[in-house]
Amino acid sequence: MNQRQAVEDFLYHEASLLDRPDLDTWVSLFTEDGRYWMPAAEDQADPINHISHVYDDRVMMEIRRRNFVHPRASSKDWPVRCSHLIGNIRIHIDPSADSSAPDSGSATGDVLTVTSNQHVVVWYRDEQRVYAYRGTHRLLCMGNQFAIREKRVDLINPDAPQRSLIIYL
Amino acid sequence: MNRVPDRNFDALVTPTRIHRSLYTDPALFELEMERIWGQSWIFIGHESQVPNPGDFFTTHVNHNIPVVMIRDKDGSVNVLHNRCGHKGAKVVEARSGTVRGALRCGYHGWSYRFDGSLLKIPNEKGYENTGFDPQSACYSMQRLAQVDSYRGFVFATLSSDAPPLQSWMGGAKDCFDNLCDRAPEGEVEVAGGVLRYEHECNWKFILENLNDTMHPMVVHESVVKAAEQYIATLPDDAVNERREAEIIPPFGASYEKFEDSGITGFDYGHHYDGGKTSIHADYSVDPEYHAAMIASYGEERTREIYAFNTHNVCFYPSLTIKCAVQNIRVIRPISVGRFIVETWSFRLKGAPDSMLQRTLLYSRLINSSMGMVGPDDLEVYRRTQEGLASPSNDWVEFHRQYGKDQQLPDRVVGGGTSDLDMRTQYRAWKAYMEGSIFSAKRSERASMGETQ
Repeated sequence: MNQRQAVEDFLYHEASLLDRPDLDTWVSLFTEDGRYWMPAAEDQADPINHISHVYDDRVMMEIRRRNFVHPRASSKDWPVRCSHLIGNIRIHIDPSADSSAPDSGSATGDVLTVTSNQHVVVWYRDEQRVYAYRGTHRLLCMGNQFAIREKRVDLINPDAPQRSLIIYL
Repeated sequence: MNRVPDRNFDALVTPTRIHRSLYTDPALFELEMERIWGQSWIFIGHESQVPNPGDFFTTHVNHNIPVVMIRDKDGSVNVLHNRCGHKGAKVVEARSGTVRGALRCGYHGWSYRFDGSLLKIPNEKGYENTGFDPQSACYSMQRLAQVDSYRGFVFATLSSDAPPLQSWMGGAKDCFDNLCDRAPEGEVEVAGGVLRYEHECNWKFILENLNDTMHPMVVHESVVKAAEQYIATLPDDAVNERREAEIIPPFGASYEKFEDSGITGFDYGHHYDGGKTSIHADYSVDPEYHAAMIASYGEERTREIYAFNTHNVCFYPSLTIKCAVQNIRVIRPISVGRFIVETWSFRLKGAPDSMLQRTLLYSRLINSSMGMVGPDDLEVYRRTQEGLASPSNDWVEFHRQYGKDQQLPDRVVGGGTSDLDMRTQYRAWKAYMEGSIFSAKRSERASMGETQ
């Protein structure tokens, strides 16, 4: 399998876990220092000095996945199901990636940046909604195995009023 | 504005109950927009959003009246109706930005100074000898009836009868002081952008929920349990993970803890919980920030500032602030069953960046539409909106600790799990809707010998 095929398969696999959704398995795709980021502004450069809809590290992902299945989480009483459609996948050589950098976590390997367009139909609270975003995955790769160091979700309407969203896109 | 009530509001609001139609009746919503939002001081924005002449920020003063806050050349901040004096088009369309020279309508090119006065009409000679008076206020972009600010927070009202801003704020004004005093330089500024969160329910639910201290341990139990379960899995040396996760559990604080925090109500519907303590009292203080505070205020005053620890403060009906967290939520109604909450974060001038980062972390986790707290609140508001369609019981009650509210000269105080915040809001709601709220207070002030 060539690298492009392996990357595409990985993105499809990741999306299928969110489609079901299976957050326990999905969280395990991230590196220990992995992040999930949904900015609240166009071309937002900074995740900590500017507000975001979500900027989760593993700590928050671990809490969120437990909350997601908790019987007393009222916003989760409603089933949520998604359908991700992924296109325009491009693989970029990341000049800033340096796997020997001190913040790279315990795992070592090359880092790939993969961008894609994703359309997500979300079924929640007896209603279908559509989200569209440009996804940027920074993937740590060991051969054709991948782990997500960062998934960035740039909605086409990041500064619009948003409705409750109980699932990662 | 002594309107004759066209409804019997005694039949809708009692000291301990309100009628369900307050949440569901579109005609009542329209009346609220006219009589509450159309009379009260409404939060517009913060002066730091418009630092230089020509900088503007647009919003609505109620559900549909468009306004623009703009910095004038003399440094003052104006709030103008965003309506061209000619055909009525909105003059400024962007949410924020900078106008060069003059405001200019995109339809026929009428232009206005930053104070709203008419500057120029293209091909003006067509108006000669027509009776048209370019000096008439109605051909300007009119200023709202009253505009004022307190420590940078800009309010405006459509009512010329509303009392001055600071007397309207009453004792709740202390909360703006505390928010600003938490800055080593004594000033705050808007920073880090805004979150907009759409709520598919009536606007009053969020104000009722702010200081409803009987709900957190129920509505937020799941995320507290999830955080505790996760913390229990951490090894002893996972210090950073534990510290980060521990922002969550205070949302499940006990009834006793909330009881101790107390609730205080004021005229015009304002209220807060906390004061002596709150669920935010146990967050640790950043050492660098603490040093800057000591350098500015000294030890004793710094401790006083920290000790005033409110949780949520409501300036009825449009604004709620968290002094200890340095964020605010702004309520923007749309229809009887829909409103938007804007969360704005503030930088404490003279404080290290870590303080703003903490504020943004809080806003993201708690107030975001993807947070782990806000969506559970909204879920129960929506269930209430839907449940109130039932004709089985026309009333929503708030008896808790009724009869124990302690009336002081300028405020009412009670236990932290009291419904006195509800009684405070709906007393004001009724007085606004009856059209009597400012005239009653005016005669009261006159009888106490105060000058207007």
